[in-house]
Formats: sequence, C-alpha cells, structure tokens
Amino acid sequence: MMAGRVGTARVGPRRVVGARSAGTVTARSGTRGFSTPSPREVVLRYALLVLALFVTIGPFLWQLSTSLKGASEDVYTTTPSFLPAEPTLDNYARAFEAVPILGFAGNSLVVAAIVVTGNVVGATLAGYALARLRFRGARLVLGALLLTLLLPGEATIVAQYLTIRQLGLADTLAGVALPGAIGMLNVLLMRTAFAALPKELDEAAIVDGANAWQRLWHVGVPNVLGMMAVVAIFAFIGAWDDFLWPLIVLTTPEKFTLTVGLEYLSGTFTNNPRVVAAGTMIAFVPIVVFFAALQRYFFRGVDEGAIKG
Amino acid sequence: MNSRRIGAAGLALAVPAVLALGGCALNGTGGGSDDAAADASGEVTGEVTLQTWALKPTFTDYVEGVIADFEEQYPGTEVTWLDQPGDGYSEKVLAQAAAGELPDVTNLPPDFALSLAREGLLADVAAVDETLEDTYVPGALDAYRYGGLDGTFGYPWYLTTDLNYWNTAMFTEAGLDPAAPPTTLEELVAQARTMKEATGEYLMSRKPGLGDFAAEGLPVLSEDGTEFVFDTPEAAEILDVYRDAYAEGLLPDDVLTDAYLGNSQLFTEGKVAWSTGGGNFIATTVENNPSLEGKIAPSPYIGQTPLYVQGVSVSSQSANPATAHALARFVTDAAQQEEFARQVPGIFPSTTSSQDDPELAESDGTPQGEAKRIAFGTLTTARVLQPVEVTDAMTTIVNQQFAAAIAGDKTSQEALDTAVDECNKLLADQ
Repeated sequence: MMAGRVGTARVGPRRVVGARSAGTVTARSGTRGFSTPSPREVVLRYALLVLALFVTIGPFLWQLSTSLKGASEDVYTTTPSFLPAEPTLDNYARAFEAVPILGFAGNSLVVAAIVVTGNVVGATLAGYALARLRFRGARLVLGALLLTLLLPGEATIVAQYLTIRQLGLADTLAGVALPGAIGMLNVLLMRTAFAALPKELDEAAIVDGANAWQRLWHVGVPNVLGMMAVVAIFAFIGAWDDFLWPLIVLTTPEKFTLTVGLEYLSGTFTNNPRVVAAGTMIAFVPIVVFFAALQRYFFRGVDEGAIKG
Repeated sequence: MNSRRIGAAGLALAVPAVLALGGCALNGTGGGSDDAAADASGEVTGEVTLQTWALKPTFTDYVEGVIADFEEQYPGTEVTWLDQPGDGYSEKVLAQAAAGELPDVTNLPPDFALSLAREGLLADVAAVDETLEDTYVPGALDAYRYGGLDGTFGYPWYLTTDLNYWNTAMFTEAGLDPAAPPTTLEELVAQARTMKEATGEYLMSRKPGLGDFAAEGLPVLSEDGTEFVFDTPEAAEILDVYRDAYAEGLLPDDVLTDAYLGNSQLFTEGKVAWSTGGGNFIATTVENNPSLEGKIAPSPYIGQTPLYVQGVSVSSQSANPATAHALARFVTDAAQQEEFARQVPGIFPSTTSSQDDPELAESDGTPQGEAKRIAFGTLTTARVLQPVEVTDAMTTIVNQQFAAAIAGDKTSQEALDTAVDECNKLLADQ
C-alpha cells in the first residue's frame, strides 16, 4: 500500500501528460504536469496531511506525555494537555523496577526473530511458487490459503493451543512463534509482488537456462525487496504486539513476552496510568528502530526493477 | 473492574462451544466431579497449583506469605503459584479448561465460574465442606450457586461493593450542600437540575442498567434462572425518569453512545459531579488526577447496595483434591482475609467471623476512611444485583434498548419488552 503510493509519486513528475481539463489549459498550467497541483491545492493537501498526522499520532503523543507527567499532575483532563508541567523520568524508572522489562524484551525479540525470518523466507518461497511456477492444484492451494484468511483468529485460538500443547511446545517461545511463522496474508502479498513482474523477465531467464531457484534468486527477489521489507515489518509488529496468544501459551513468568509482562504494571487494585504509559513507550521503541532500519527498502518502489515504466 | 466483567461474559458464551471442540482432542475433559469429590477427604499432602488474577507484583509478599503458612501448617505440601495478567484472563482460563489443565485452585469471579461449572469442570465445595454456611456470609455463597445447577462452585474470597462519590467543589459552586447528597433517584434528578441551572455542569453521569432495577427491588430474572422478567411497569417508570432528565439536558449526551467512557472516567475528568465506585475509589482517582484531592465525598449507594464477590474454585479434575480444598479454605479463612483487607483498603472479608471486626468498621475521619466505613456498614445488606446469567451480548441489547428509550425513540415499555424478548432468546440458547 505504502510502497505503491510512494512509487506513483515518484513516477509522476517524469510523465508530463498534460493539463487536467480544458478549463485549466492556460499559460499558468502550461508548465505544470498532470500531477502538479495548484498552490491552493498544495495548501489543502498539506492541511489534510497534518490533520491525518495529528489524528494518527495524537493518542501516541498522549501516551508519551502521560508517561512523562509527574505524580502531582492530572492525567485525565477535559481538554487533553500534551505538555507535562513537571516532566519526569520517574515513571520509566518505576516501570523498570516493577517488572524485568529487559528479560521480557529479550523473549519478545526471540519470538519476533523467528516470525520475521519465517515470514520473509516462507512467504517469499510460497509467493513465488504461486505466482510463477505451474503445478497441479496451484489454484486449489491459493483458494485454500484465501479461505484460512476468513477464519477469525479468536475462533481458532483454543484449537491452536491444543495443537501446540500436543506438540509439546506449550510454555515455550517456539510455541508462541510457530503459528505466526508464515502468515497467509504475507504469502498473498508476495504472490502479488511476483505476479506484478513482467513475465518476459522470467521467460528470458528460462531461455538463458536458469532453473527455478536461480530465477527466484537472481530475477525475482531483487525486484520485490520492497514488498519483502513490508512483510518483515508487518511480521515484526504482529509478533511484537501480540498479546492474547503468548498469554495463552506461556505459563512461566520468566518466559513472558513484553506485552504480557507489561500487564504486571496494571494490577487488580493498583493502576498508575503514568507507569503503564511508560511501559508502553518502552515496548514501542524497538518497533521504531526496526522500521528505521528497514525504511530504505520499505519505500523502494516497484519501479526500480529491471524494466522501467 | 468493568472491562474484566465484560470479558467474563464473553467467556460464558465461548466455553461450551470450545469445550465441545476440545473434547475431541482430549480424553476425559468434564464430567468427573463425582469421583473427585469422593476422595477429597484424603490426606492433605503433595503438590497443588494456585492461580490468582493480577495480584503480582503488588501483593507478591502477601500471597507468598499465605502459601508459606499453608505449607507450614500442612507439612509435605507444595504449592505452585501462578498469577495471570489482568487482561485476557477469561481467554486464558478458557484455554486452560479446554486443555484439561485448569489449576487445582483458581480465583474465579462468579460469572466465570458459572460457565465452567456448567461443563462440570468445578467441584461442588458444599459436598466437601459442611461448615460453609457458618464460615461465609450468605450473599457471597449465593453468588456461587446457580439456578439449574446443584451445588456451590467456589469458596467466597474477598468482597467489594459500590458507593456514591460526589465532587464537593462542584456541589459548593452550584449552591448545593455536599453534606446532603441525593439519596433517591428523585433527589438526584432535582439536584442535577439545580446544578445544571446554577453552573451548567452535570451531576447525573450514566444511564440505568439491569442493576438499577434490582437496586430498586424490581425483579430481573425469574427465581429458577430460566427467563428475564424486568419488563415491569415500575422499570418503565425508572426509564421514564431518565428519559425526561435526558430531554431536559441533565445527562451528558455521551451516556447514550459508544463514546461513553464510564461515569468514573467522566468524574475523574471533572465533567460530572457524581460517580459510583468501590471502597478504593478515592485513592485511585486522586492518583490519576491529584487536583481532585480533598474534593471527593462518599455516601451510601442509592437503593439496594450491590455486592461483588470474588472466590476460589477447585477443579473437578484436580489430581489432589484433598489438598486443593484445604488450600482453598486456607486462602479464604478469616485470618488470611482480614490481613488481605488490611493491605487493600476497599475490599472486605467474606467470612462471617470478620463481620464485626472493629478495625474494618471504624473510620479515621478522612474521606477515604469514611468510604471504607460506609462500604463495610452496607455490606451486610448488600447483594449481587446483576444476575451472572447476563452475558456480554445481553448487556449490549439492554444498552441499545435503554438508549433508544431514553433518547425518546420508543416508549420505555416497548424498549423493555424488546430487551426481555431478545435476552430470553439468548438465555434459551445457553
């Protein structure tokens, strides 16, 4: 979604198609291309962007400011205040004191690593097979994959737990990670990415004598790095943020992932929103780091492939 | 507390379906309660598991102390303590139940226990302990007895109740006397009008629910628990009162929509001058918004005081029932409960011998202490207002119908009739 939008934005200025309508064919618009907006439109666009930005990150900012608020400050006010009057890092210290955050984060990292690797490798292989290889029952496989997407996770969670338990993986991090190791949606994303590549590329490689693995590695993968980054980020966020599944699988507190472990900050009779917010912020940092590391690929459009549009 | 209660209702719906599913994979899930009860009189020794709900890390010392005392009193026993996080508890218990690995002793509120008891997963504690009636207060025991099921499915643990909290600053500003807050629905509406006219602020902060009917002494569920009967003319009158108050602008618009955050949230934000809450409400609220310090006054609940019960249930699948029952009784005995109540202001023991504990009955003069005194004083007459049979889906129906009635879209009687019909359909399907 993201990659596609940015991709067209880049392609845009290169193609000067002409004015939008007869009415605007003037000297003024003569220098502007199809997707070059008028100043008024620019203002409007930015206003909408800023609005969307605020709506999106507003709750996040509120959490951030809550986590920095001192004990004598009101958390809930009629008009939300984003600037703490007495900023303090005390809440972070208290969150670290109350629960072994680093240990929990380590567990989450293990789970996330398995899930990201599984999805990037597995979804790429499966996506390529479904998009480019011809084999008996390919459509059936695709249909079956689509059908599993229809089942809501809540409906299968207990059956899934019973399976994991019978595999002897209850209360292990592997048990937490495995069911999410290949996401069907990711397979579909990769399939779409591979399918978008011109068939001629593949055919040329076949003529050159490349086998399926070589075509995947030398022709397919270099052109879908952007989508692979998307899959990696989605998988990471999914694994990192998941709460219910690790809660059900894990029993020993030492093995808890961060989202489950942070629940200790809000007990039955004690619930300081400032400390809870601090815990949330701590859990959020690795997602930012991961995204920052991958964003180079994330924003790489399909147009950087072998055949330019 | 509220979100957890909703979670429980979800569990009630999901358990039978999932157990049916889990039953294929597992042998002998359910149905073993008779054998288990039989050898519950065995020797108290060996290993058992105790599961609590979100007591770590604040009450780690207390729980570990209780366990140490138990192990000392019964040499040879070994207790493994599991504490589950607050969120997702219903799902966790559900998964445990489906996998046949319910801990020997588990902290379950009555509505959670009902869905497990229906599947035969909980031991009838009355069959093991004949002194229940002497040990625990009747209201608490009743919470673990269900229409259509024979037995008592948990040892009552701690009790909580609700009382009223008023924003004294907003009262004074509106020319009302914070020392004489409303004691009836009529007074509430009258004072809300005064406040609205004087300062434009809101006093009333929520729409009524089934609990409010029960608080006025109206029937909600038939005696045998098979059908809802809250479509009485008296109930319609209560809805009419709210409808008129809403039309007059005495309630915030939010209360009828999904944007409603709950009366305690509105109270904390200073948007309304009234909230209901447990004995610990002042401490929590002041921690969130310190500017409310000294501005909160408690008073007894309007109408019948509600009772909220927590208890510990024993799994009917327990491999060591004698020790499990002994542990459950030990955790809920008077001495342990009184100590717990001292550590958590606002919760009270469910043991009969604790009901005249002078320490719990006295106030230290602070609003917080006063709240504790009022709560403890009303506890003897408090009862469970909302039937445990009410599920999440039913609450949604009731909320929608009541909202329609209060907004004036249909008459109160129509709304009640529809709600009763729909809820009865859901109840029949359970």
